[in-house]
Amino acid sequence: MIKELILPDLGEGIEGAEITEVSVAVGDKVSSQDTVLVLESDKASMEIPAENKGTVKEILVSVGDSIKTGQALLKIEGSEETTTATGEKETKQPPPQKTDAPKPKEEPTLPQEKEPQAPATANNVFASPSVRRLSRELGINLQTIKGTGEKGRITKEDLNGYIKMQMLLSSGGLPVSTPEIDFSKWGSIEKQKLTKIQRITGQRLQRAWQTIPHVTQFDEADITELRQHRKTLNKKHAKKKGKITFLPFLMKATIGVLKEMPKLNSSLDHHEENLVIKNYYNLGIAVDTPNGLVVPVVKGVDQKSIYELSDELTDLSQRARNRKLKPNEMTGGTFTLSSLGGVGGTFFTPIINPPEVAILGISRSCWENIYDEKTKTQSPRYIMPFSLSYDHRVVDGAAGSAFTSKFAKVLSDISTFQES
Amino acid sequence: MGKNKQVEIAVIGAGPGGYAAAFRAADLGKKVVLIDREPELGGVCLNRGCIPSKALLHISKVMGEAASLAKMGVTYNEPKIDLKTIREHKNRIVNQLNGGIAKMAKARGVETLQGVAAFKSNNQLKVETESSSTTITFEKCIVASGSSSSTIPGVLADHPSVLTSKTALDLIDIPERLLVVGGGVIGLELGQVYASLGSMVSVVEFLPNLIPGADPDIIRPLQRKLKKQFESIILSSKVSKIEANKDNSLEVTIEGSGGKTKQTYDKVLIAVGRKPNVELLRLENTDVALDDKGFISVDVYQRTAVKNIFAIGDIVGNPMLAHKATHEGKVAAEVASGVPSAMDARAIPSVVYTDPEVAWVGLTEMEAKKNEIDYEKGEFPWAASGRAIAVGANQGKTKILFDPETKKVLGVGIVGPSAGDIISEGALAIEMGADAVDVGLTVHPHPTLGETIGMAAEAFEGTITDLYVPKK
Repeated sequence: MIKELILPDLGEGIEGAEITEVSVAVGDKVSSQDTVLVLESDKASMEIPAENKGTVKEILVSVGDSIKTGQALLKIEGSEETTTATGEKETKQPPPQKTDAPKPKEEPTLPQEKEPQAPATANNVFASPSVRRLSRELGINLQTIKGTGEKGRITKEDLNGYIKMQMLLSSGGLPVSTPEIDFSKWGSIEKQKLTKIQRITGQRLQRAWQTIPHVTQFDEADITELRQHRKTLNKKHAKKKGKITFLPFLMKATIGVLKEMPKLNSSLDHHEENLVIKNYYNLGIAVDTPNGLVVPVVKGVDQKSIYELSDELTDLSQRARNRKLKPNEMTGGTFTLSSLGGVGGTFFTPIINPPEVAILGISRSCWENIYDEKTKTQSPRYIMPFSLSYDHRVVDGAAGSAFTSKFAKVLSDISTFQES
Repeated sequence: MGKNKQVEIAVIGAGPGGYAAAFRAADLGKKVVLIDREPELGGVCLNRGCIPSKALLHISKVMGEAASLAKMGVTYNEPKIDLKTIREHKNRIVNQLNGGIAKMAKARGVETLQGVAAFKSNNQLKVETESSSTTITFEKCIVASGSSSSTIPGVLADHPSVLTSKTALDLIDIPERLLVVGGGVIGLELGQVYASLGSMVSVVEFLPNLIPGADPDIIRPLQRKLKKQFESIILSSKVSKIEANKDNSLEVTIEGSGGKTKQTYDKVLIAVGRKPNVELLRLENTDVALDDKGFISVDVYQRTAVKNIFAIGDIVGNPMLAHKATHEGKVAAEVASGVPSAMDARAIPSVVYTDPEVAWVGLTEMEAKKNEIDYEKGEFPWAASGRAIAVGANQGKTKILFDPETKKVLGVGIVGPSAGDIISEGALAIEMGADAVDVGLTVHPHPTLGETIGMAAEAFEGTITDLYVPKK
């Protein structure tokens, strides 16, 4: 029985990928876990297993091909009996009175059935049968479209317009044609091709910037004590894997404030009519890699200790740099942290990572002489500048500055971190 | 002995649903085998149902029209009936059509296989004929095995004088006295054929009215006509016993509110509905599920509980209509071939091909009342249509039900000659979401029976000039 290996759904948002390696040749024997192909999608590379035991009969794709979910990749001849054999064997096995006879758990020849994505249109949708069929073919829910035809009828033009709008949105807003300029007439130049990650990040950032009304609130946190606490911890646990950075503490502090202000741990729904508040805390951590910006997501931050977070961060950022992140490790974030603390600069305006509604940007901390009104003395304090960009459709100015004040307060009070 | 075959799509049943599914799938590039237990393609509709019955109803209609010419000054001699020639005429039509399907199958590269198909598992079938058996391994299967006439439990069925719709269409003879059990579409159509050919026909219906699915007001003109044509129409009654006499005539016990009566008939036609053909499929070898009425359960994609097995037509439930099966067959073929498709029809028209014809689509008044759906109504009596009067159809009527708010067409009911042809405009109006103004402002040709739809909409709107409608 020859089976086709189909590209499975790679996770939310990822529709296609490029083949970077074909690991098998026709005639190779494979078992279900053997890698047969390596793919590279937007931000990760993935290994595709054979799924079934058998012999590779035909390879339907080659390196460099762009493939889509559901596409056939190769044909594998299973090692089970062929049809001729089953025809005779099966008649022997189940006796005629087989109502209760156990059925074979898995039918040997069935490919994974894809769910059809084309439901019948709701009765309240006003569109002719031809438009209803077209909407099924395009996978468009007619209930999201406003008809411009007579009495609100959804026309074919409405569908076309909707598609154009969606394409504009996904390609990063209205196209602005930039004139081609020959820079070499003023001196020598060098062209560098943008990596795939850079191109995609660029499109996403542009879209976020154009569609979300950003406001950025600046603030500072006194982390003198936290700095000391971290030092002590690192000394105590020196034998452990590595030093703990500030980041796990900042993550913990963020969760503390998000729990108080759930609005910032939310998304606007598809119609921008409801706010979807999330009761889970998954933090995206912006990681700079040689190929571009990548945002792995640490899931369930509220459930994890400083040490666990530290280990996970090390692992994620390493794999991000080696492009070994899996697609599901970059989705499902509820809030993002972007730290330039190790680089430099005071304050920046981070761009929100949709569908999240806020992002925290951490800048480089430094010593400052701070005057204390109570003691009437000056003392050196370790001050961390940070910025919060928020979606002004969801978060108002008062909430934005409340968030940064609370965040600064949590960081200055190390009792928050006394868990370990 | 056993042969083996591997296909992408196996279709069980070559009726209007099955062959449509097979042909559509083949047109979409699939390797298809079309299996039927009969040697001729076309199923019940073509061989033992819609088509032969319409061939006979045509004869009966023209006979009626010829007789009605007497009033208009044209008379003929009494008609002579040659049953053999009628049978041959009917068979010629049937053969022409099923031969056409076989040719189309060949042209599309659809393999046809005669035999009884039974499931071995969720992806294997065994097709058996008298001489051989074939095991078919399929990726997808479309079950279109249809339905067959129901019998009355406990009542004699296996007797040459007890007819089913199938044997009635064989037209073996014209019984002097025929009892039709069941006042539905099939019973009335065949009853009228036999009445025209000379039988004294009685009809027994369990419910208080004929054609239970249709509104009584559009059945009434038919019922008036049948009262004249038939010996009797017995409503709210049931047949409890049939006993065979030595001369092959039948003693029938009919029970009604007035008690029991016993009558002798030469033949009895049982037309009490149809049951899905599920037994031979051996569905117990699959995970396909049935609903509480014994039909195969399917979703809008026509998929059964087993995702690679589809079912369409009579076997998935009412209405048991060829045109419904055809549409479902195409949906199943498309979904099975990976085309985004779904059974998305807003309305399925029903037609009774009697004289006069009765047709309805979408909401009926009975349904509206039962489900408390608000509606308003526009009616046009054919007595006000010049064409209808000219062809002696002034008993006819066209009515349209509208949504009181949006004025969109919710349903249409028609009684009168060609009602089945006119009803399509109602179906189109519903699919397109047309409202009373749309229908009224569509120019209908005059003088036609079809213009009664436009008139009914105008009557509703108050813009009609062919009737006087007092202001609302």
